Amino acid sequence: MNLPADPALAALTRRHFFSRCGVGLGSIALASLMDRNALRAAEQGGATPPLAPRTTHFRPRAKNVIYLFMAGGPSQLELFDHKPRLNALNGQAIPDSYLQGKRFAFMDSSFKNRSTLLGSRRAFRQQGPSGMWVSELFPHTAGIAGEVTFIRTCATNVFNHAPAKLFMNTGSSQFGRPSLGAWLTYGIGSEADNLPGFVVLQSGPRGPRGGAVNWGSGFLPTTFQGVPLRAQGEPILNLTAPEGIDADRQRRTLDAVRDLNLQRLVDTGDPEIATRIAAYEMAYRMQTSAPEAMDLTGESRATLDLYGVDPAKPSFARNCLLARRLVERGVRFVQLYHTNWDSHGGPGETLESDFEKVCRDVDQAQAALVRDLKSRGLLEDTLVVWGGEFGRTPMGENREKTGRNHHIDAFTIWMAGGGVKAGAVVGETDELGFGPIQDRVHVHDLHATILHLLGLDHQRLTFRFQGRDFRLTDVHGELVPSILA
Amino acid sequence: MGAAAVAVGAPDYLREVKPVLTDHCIGCHGNEKSQNGLRLDTAVAALKGGERGPAVVPGDAGGSLLVQVIEGRHAQLERMPYKRSPLSTASIAAVRGWIDAGAPLPAAETPGHRVHWAFVPPERRTPPGPVEEGFSGGYPIDAWIGHRLKEAGLAPSPEADRATLIRRVSLDLTGLPPDPERIEAFVADPRPDAYERLVEELLGSPHHGERWARWWLDVARYADSNGYSADAPRSIWPWRDWVVRSLNADLPFDQFIVEQLAGDLLPGASLDQRIATGFHRNTQLNEEGGIDPEQFRIEGVIDRVGTTGTALLGLTIACAQCHDHKFDPIRQREYYQLFDFFNQQDEPTLEIPSSGPVQGPGGPAKAPAKPTTTLVLAERSAPRRTPVFIKGDFTRPGEEVGPGTPAVLPPRPFEGQGSRRPNRLDLARWIMDPRHPLAARVTVNRVWQQYFGRGLVETENDFGTQGSPPTHPELLDGLAVELVSPTAEGGFGYSLKRLHRRIVTSQTYRRASTVRPDLLERDPGNRLLARQNRIRLDAELIRDVALVASGAWDPALGGPPVHPPQPEGVMNLGQVRREWRTSLAGDRYRRGLYTYFWRATPHPALAVFDAPDAFSTCTRRNRSNTPLQALTLLNDAAFVDLADRLARRLQDGVPWGDPVAYGFQLCTGRRPKPGERERLQRLLDGERRTGSDTEAWRTVSRVLLNLDETITRE
Repeated sequence: MNLPADPALAALTRRHFFSRCGVGLGSIALASLMDRNALRAAEQGGATPPLAPRTTHFRPRAKNVIYLFMAGGPSQLELFDHKPRLNALNGQAIPDSYLQGKRFAFMDSSFKNRSTLLGSRRAFRQQGPSGMWVSELFPHTAGIAGEVTFIRTCATNVFNHAPAKLFMNTGSSQFGRPSLGAWLTYGIGSEADNLPGFVVLQSGPRGPRGGAVNWGSGFLPTTFQGVPLRAQGEPILNLTAPEGIDADRQRRTLDAVRDLNLQRLVDTGDPEIATRIAAYEMAYRMQTSAPEAMDLTGESRATLDLYGVDPAKPSFARNCLLARRLVERGVRFVQLYHTNWDSHGGPGETLESDFEKVCRDVDQAQAALVRDLKSRGLLEDTLVVWGGEFGRTPMGENREKTGRNHHIDAFTIWMAGGGVKAGAVVGETDELGFGPIQDRVHVHDLHATILHLLGLDHQRLTFRFQGRDFRLTDVHGELVPSILA
Repeated sequence: MGAAAVAVGAPDYLREVKPVLTDHCIGCHGNEKSQNGLRLDTAVAALKGGERGPAVVPGDAGGSLLVQVIEGRHAQLERMPYKRSPLSTASIAAVRGWIDAGAPLPAAETPGHRVHWAFVPPERRTPPGPVEEGFSGGYPIDAWIGHRLKEAGLAPSPEADRATLIRRVSLDLTGLPPDPERIEAFVADPRPDAYERLVEELLGSPHHGERWARWWLDVARYADSNGYSADAPRSIWPWRDWVVRSLNADLPFDQFIVEQLAGDLLPGASLDQRIATGFHRNTQLNEEGGIDPEQFRIEGVIDRVGTTGTALLGLTIACAQCHDHKFDPIRQREYYQLFDFFNQQDEPTLEIPSSGPVQGPGGPAKAPAKPTTTLVLAERSAPRRTPVFIKGDFTRPGEEVGPGTPAVLPPRPFEGQGSRRPNRLDLARWIMDPRHPLAARVTVNRVWQQYFGRGLVETENDFGTQGSPPTHPELLDGLAVELVSPTAEGGFGYSLKRLHRRIVTSQTYRRASTVRPDLLERDPGNRLLARQNRIRLDAELIRDVALVASGAWDPALGGPPVHPPQPEGVMNLGQVRREWRTSLAGDRYRRGLYTYFWRATPHPALAVFDAPDAFSTCTRRNRSNTPLQALTLLNDAAFVDLADRLARRLQDGVPWGDPVAYGFQLCTGRRPKPGERERLQRLLDGERRTGSDTEAWRTVSRVLLNLDETITRE
């Protein structure tokens, strides 16, 4: 199989593909090599692993994203969109003019008083330089209003949980499209050389609807898909060496695999083998780096208290702190999912005690994350995004307690940090909070703006698949300049 | 193409100029579209011009608008053809020459009409020139590959050595690596037809159907769960077993397709033919609370139209759901005419009698305890009405349409049906009509892609105008014509096995895959196939190779999907926590094909090696190369278990040679070179100094199962 047999030609082969394919082999110990020439050639090649940082379209305002995904669709009317008129009309029928041509979830099941307006019982106060209204359920979040741009007029297309989550993440309710995190790591690479570029953390009673497709890479290479780090046990599947294999033996195993692969690389000239050697080295480093990133023993008592973390227990708070640690270690995109914000009014889904509980789950920690990032100088490079897959209707669903249905026309999300205005409000809804009357921000616009903040033009970030160039924003999306600092 | 003007006389318009305009201009300036009022499909139209005046001024090429824009020197207009490569110097010279000679008009001219290559039925052609050693050979593969290599002045690589060949062809035809005993026998086989005998043996193996079933399951978006958020389990594995049986029996490909699209409509449909319609029941099913069921029934129909278009026509028909296709001649109305064929079904569950055909050939079936069911299609008695959905939105029904096929493709030969409404069976027969320009091309291209890592048309799912043209158009057409031609005329008669045989016995397929410096320079993408390509194995085959090498493999065929070990916590990732009760005994060691596939929470060892997600049709897999793959092979419980089994196998004594070399051959198919053997021996000796003999062999086995070569088809 040694082709070409002539040694001079073989040397030429090696030089040739190493210089062309630019393979990086990292920290390979010279001592155990069978073929030192190959190593030298490899090292001269420079490093271009698939996740290496890439040039952006223009100067980025942020380098990393922490996306706090409020799974289930939080009620903007209980948190941010203060509507005294809605409160005044509590119990009255919504004017037909609002409902014409609209479709809602659970259309078939006729529950009582679907069209009856439900006022919010929550007290609101204006906060920060923008005078943004924040409800009593978010006391800590109210305290960071000066860092945040609130968007009250976010709109989406789909009103069922799984397709809507998919839409918020991929810009499409069809499966098979890459998620925002995948597009970003594809577009700008990662700065972590011993952790994945896109990491997912989850908290709450169950996983988000739709599961892994929410952080999938779709038609992009799988290198770019989100890697879920688990709250307990091994943070990455198969991260720990099997029982009976200590660190030394694992290293000796890897050394032998590397040496034999290197020999094969020399014999075949296939640069894929160089990539595989590099992947094994990264895997080895991850065995140390991932548990280290997840280990909170080095965090001060003050930091733990700021977030409200009990290090022994999985929680949204713990994940917020982990998100900061991951960003510090160069991870490009950290997405946190917290369930369950679904508030139809049935058992476990009331706007009363259940909603209060889920607000308590997140309030302190999300505010602490922004404060902590700021105090460490990380906020200017890190974009924090908060929001669900849709909002809730101004009409109530009165089951045993009160609730609201899914609503796609106007709901609130907020952003803070890298390139975003500190203390601003974008958009205004009508007096019932049903639809936007000023500055509607569609999911596609949001995506275009997030990509822009990371230095990418949403119209130029494309991938050719099934005969056409696909974008995160499909054929839509406009930058929202009023969000930018 | 227009040739350069010869010295004597002006270029002839019909022979030299018109073909240039037809190939490059009339897409936008013809009878279908005439941008800015300009048409270039006749000389008279060119002289008349459009909104900007005449395109051609007789006798003055330099002053003619046409010449200014194709040369890219017009002050306001972009260089034409717009956003495409400029015309060749020779073509421009022909246009100039004709105009300078006074732009003489032909006596009688029919408007130029350009037809995209893929819409023209394929033809059999033989390469020109004499047959030469090394460059030509069997028709059509070696003849056309050799012809192009010769044109490019590239020498083909020699044939791979025999150990490489037997592992390559075994993995490609059965998905299983050969035993060292079989390898040694083949290497030593002096008969001139040793390779051909091997190919026959493999094509006859019951595992051939398993290997190629996976090829088809990707296209069919097969999974064992319903998808969407709840992702409930489903039973449709009898359809998967039908695919395995049909491929083993070499069911002609036209029948294979007709039965899957419309088996229920065949006269006196057999149980098997009804099971076959499970193909289009592999769509997802949404059971989330609060949904509009009609919305998701329509999503299913949309998926069936898109899958049929991609898998059999190689067209991005799905693009026409919301608007007329931007690039290909498919109108939105025509999309809904196709949609109508798939809008007329109920979606029942079929109970299979216990005496039914649900068992694998050549092996005992795994008998399920409960009555076996599978999902099928059944035609409704009263047809649904199909409207065009405005902008693809099902809440905005527009004009009503009936069943029909795109006008650009051959008309349907629906003879003698009188006033009967055309149905799926008519559609299926139309698609598989031997005169149809697409289905055979698309199929042979995807088979080719399995063997060489890339199709002759690289955009295997887009044969439309935005797809890439074939690298070897005559070869693609040659294989397509062979596929559909009757065996009496020397064709394959729709036999896939004949197609496989033709490809794997070609010299092109058998060449060494080693990278050559001269090829890196001249043909870096190996488009001309002077050598084979190294291909990382598919996810399921990576498992299969480890199963066989370790000796743990249970070769049983068919039956319900199984649950090999997987890391804890995987099933927590979905919305509803599903059960994964790890299989015991033989079912723990079944081929990757049989691993239970949950759409929301696929087995990580499959997902990490790019098994498709089964949400939509997959006509080509990704081949990523990531650290998570390394962690899987190193640490995943299933692979550690197999490494332990391999270690025991080597420790217990091997039939010949030393266990290190034998283990290497079990995994890679070849004997190690001295340096490789020595490196492994050094590892073994070192491990023996720090631990037990068993631990030392376990380490060596893990190394062997992690080698790049082990998971690669060389």
